[in-house]
Amino acid sequence: MLLNSPAVERLIEAFRRLPGVGKRTAERYALHLLSAPTEDAAALSEAVRRAREAIRKCSICRNLTESDPCAICSDARRDQGLVCVVEQPSGAMAIERGGTYRGVYHVLHGALNPLEGVGPDELEMDALFRRLKSGRVSEIIAATNATAEGEATALYLARQAQPGVKVTRIAHGVPMGGGLEYTDEGTLAHALDGRRQMS
Amino acid sequence: MHLTRFHCRSFRCLREIDLHPGPEINLIRGRNAQGKTSLLEAILFAATSKSHRTTLETELANSGAGEFHVRIEVQRAEREVVLETHWWKGQKRVKINGVAQKRLSDMLGKVSVVLFAPEDIALIKSGSALRRRFLDMALSQLEPAYLAALQQYRQVLRQRNELLRAPRPDPGLLDVWDVQLAREGEVLIERRAAFIDELAALASQAYGKIAAGELLAVAYAPDCPAGGLAELLRAKREGDIRRKMTVHGPHRDDIEIAVAGTPARSHASQGQQKSAALALRLAEMDLAHRRTGELPILLLDEVLAELDARRAAQLFDAIPVGAQCFITTTDLARAVAPEGRPAVEFVIEAGALAQS
Ligand SMILES: [Zn+2]
Repeated sequence: MLLNSPAVERLIEAFRRLPGVGKRTAERYALHLLSAPTEDAAALSEAVRRAREAIRKCSICRNLTESDPCAICSDARRDQGLVCVVEQPSGAMAIERGGTYRGVYHVLHGALNPLEGVGPDELEMDALFRRLKSGRVSEIIAATNATAEGEATALYLARQAQPGVKVTRIAHGVPMGGGLEYTDEGTLAHALDGRRQMS
Repeated sequence: MHLTRFHCRSFRCLREIDLHPGPEINLIRGRNAQGKTSLLEAILFAATSKSHRTTLETELANSGAGEFHVRIEVQRAEREVVLETHWWKGQKRVKINGVAQKRLSDMLGKVSVVLFAPEDIALIKSGSALRRRFLDMALSQLEPAYLAALQQYRQVLRQRNELLRAPRPDPGLLDVWDVQLAREGEVLIERRAAFIDELAALASQAYGKIAAGELLAVAYAPDCPAGGLAELLRAKREGDIRRKMTVHGPHRDDIEIAVAGTPARSHASQGQQKSAALALRLAEMDLAHRRTGELPILLLDEVLAELDARRAAQLFDAIPVGAQCFITTTDLARAVAPEGRPAVEFVIEAGALAQS
């Protein structure tokens, strides 16, 4: 680093904690903000502060929202009895982009991960189980990631959900429009395991 | 498959080498410490991105250069494959047919190489970890789905062990890791059993050729029988909690190897152990040939040392006809390929090719 300044180092470290930002990129962002007009940097920090203040977790689904309950939880046209459980808000956003899902969500903000010290208490599990106890939920769809951690979380939900609530797991398989030859081996193995009967 | 051209720069003690090998036997002659082993290591690294001598890639760069470059052109049944690796300041860039690759695993299976080195005697002599590594490497090359299951198994095992280190692990949490550990573990057990079954017959054939008259027996020794892992994890859970680790599972598997009816690890001579290790490598090659329809490239480091003319002839006999192999040798007098086997010789001196 060319500047030997603790303040700059702190800024670089802050950028490095963002997903997908490596050392080089973090340095580039920091240097850019430091050499840009003061107003630019002020505008950025102001935007971060405002968004942070405006956004909270929905008291029902724990997704990030400006209004509480969030727009999806307060939408009477959506099926409040069908809950899709995702690890991150980005998962709910991805499903919303599909435009066909008519149920609601629950965002766990992570997955079970003993190596990173994440157990059920570190996730929004209690909030989910409270929703189930209310008796208005008939099915939860475990849409956690297809990783060891996402799979463990889905299994945990299936075992901890109270009787009477159906738990399903989203299918993992070959992408639409994708040829088999472009699909990686792990995905193919799971797609074969999760095959469906057709006749 | 055949290596048609090999090029490297600054790999270990090798300077610039541009080699146009022959299609069958290639003898690499040279005195000690001239770069013969490094040449084989460079071919292995170019094909697999792995070295058999180190996991530290920094060691592969010529100390003065701080970078190295290896490139192989390989003629496969349908088409030519060019693999290129450039290592510079700790960064590895791999190109397949000139196209930069993001995932190193894309290299797997493109060019298959089987290496036998003096260190391989440890396959017979040492603990089970090296034999599991042999299994995992060979199977990952042949079955990418095996590699996927192996990586998942290892990750789940790490997570489960971490959970076991907690003061009072939650049984409900252990359950969800056990389900996955059993599922991926059963895949490993099943594929390993099938692989060793096939390997055993081929290894005993190869051994019969190298050490005429003696018998080699190879068998899978799974820590847990197929279909029983979920049950075993349940039965051993209390013990796992006490020991704070997963004591049983395919991560404890072994391969039993016996020469003339007795365990090779404890009872075989140094020579028998070396022959048994070589037989395993030749069987690995044979098996790859059966599965893929193409003969891997064979790299034999220092196999001719200490062999008399009869044993050397037996060794050549064990190399499949049509296979391309690279054999290093220091011994100028004895190492002569048998009649009828096309052979080319190269002499290596101070890290460069000399005219032979
Ligand atoms: Zn909500």
